Amino acid sequence: MIIQDLLLGALVALLCGLDRVAVLQIMISRPLVAAPLTGMLLGQPLIGLQVGIMMELLWLARLPVGAAIPPDDTQVSIAATVLAVTVARMFASSGPEPALFCLLVTLPLGKLGQYFDHRARRFNDHLPELAELAIERGSLRGAERQHLKGLLSFSVAALSTYIVILGGGLLIIPFLWPLIEEGLVYSSSWIQLALPLIGVAVILGTINVSRSITLFCASFGMAFLLMWLV
Amino acid sequence: MAFSWKTKLHIWLRFLILQASWNFERHQGLGFFYALLPGLRKLYSGSQLLAVARRYVGYFNTHPYLTPLVAGAVLKLEEKQAAGDTPAVDIDDFKEIVAAPYAAIGDALFWGGLRPLAAGVSLFFAVKGFLWSSLVFLLLFNLVPFWFRTVFFARGYRQGMNSVEFIQQNSLPDWAIHTKEAAVVVLGGLSAFMVFSHLGRQSVATWLGLLTLLPMVLLAYLARKGVSTLWMIYIIALIIFMAGLFWADVIQWLEM
Repeated sequence: MIIQDLLLGALVALLCGLDRVAVLQIMISRPLVAAPLTGMLLGQPLIGLQVGIMMELLWLARLPVGAAIPPDDTQVSIAATVLAVTVARMFASSGPEPALFCLLVTLPLGKLGQYFDHRARRFNDHLPELAELAIERGSLRGAERQHLKGLLSFSVAALSTYIVILGGGLLIIPFLWPLIEEGLVYSSSWIQLALPLIGVAVILGTINVSRSITLFCASFGMAFLLMWLV
Repeated sequence: MAFSWKTKLHIWLRFLILQASWNFERHQGLGFFYALLPGLRKLYSGSQLLAVARRYVGYFNTHPYLTPLVAGAVLKLEEKQAAGDTPAVDIDDFKEIVAAPYAAIGDALFWGGLRPLAAGVSLFFAVKGFLWSSLVFLLLFNLVPFWFRTVFFARGYRQGMNSVEFIQQNSLPDWAIHTKEAAVVVLGGLSAFMVFSHLGRQSVATWLGLLTLLPMVLLAYLARKGVSTLWMIYIIALIIFMAGLFWADVIQWLEM
């Protein structure tokens, strides 16, 4: 069962990982899509949704502009969902705690995604030269093939990130979970609320809009008062 | 000769894997060549085609959703050149001139504005436990990019170099700013909704939620100063965790 879950996770990791840069870019790589999709395939859509909500805004302010590579929130969301489903089954836990704990453990490993993505792009550096050589030989098909080869390096990068995050999680989480499970019950819902709010604050701090804090406070205040009064 | 719809569709489909070979040396260069090749094959043949192809394997980088606009205009220019006309601006120069401004517009509009806006709206549904919130996000986000990818490709091909004016007339940089402002407003409403719902569930006086603005503004300030998001997450999570344990002890002590 666990092996099947890990393999299904790997399939989602590959598809969503390619969507980040190489293919389509229709945003199935966003945590709000990738995590619930993983959860749905593993029969626990709510766990996926919880991970997606907590993760979606955290690194949204890190824009994939030019050669900048943001931390891999796609693979973190997918791996955290797979791990949370596994933990919930292994320890018969329910509630948001497994999703929260798995996410907190896997979050820093998202930085590894930057490394693998960087390696993939570096590997692709020689493809244009190979394409030029193919054109010199008169083979346009050969040049086209060089472009498609790039898909392989991005696939390897996505899967490597997923495997490393998952492996790290599997090594740490089963040992720490029994120690932390009870204590986390008292604070999990508050941490669950804090994560998206931190994401919003980071977006506010980095978004290039004049008076963004004023706009945000006015909107927050108005919405809050309306909900309070109605 | 004008391209048939089949050729245009072939080129358009190739835009979907434009960045498959993205690399630090030439960025989207090889992908741009790959996308245009079906069109170039219709215009040139033999050694002429190889010479033109060699030109396209160089450096190119713009926003992936605006590449079809550049590609459409470039194909129109190539078409004219193949028919014997000399374009007013060299095709390679045109590519180079428009790529950077289009990239800046696209980054601001799509990554900086539309993505947080669509995420903010979809999270309202997600927080309510609506499992199809992912679909809401995909629909909200993708409508505009697909419109850009399709209509702008046709527009670029129809207008050639004049397609630049189309961008100027539609004030796309202004739209990027408006979208970002809308995203900030939506995120304000979303934060208020999440805090209000949470306090209601925890049976805490809901008006206290207004105080959330203080730490959020402080965190925004810290983020602007370059403090790592990960540090903020772990410090806040640890504080809440410790507070939770302390509160549990207090309750246990009171009950004794």
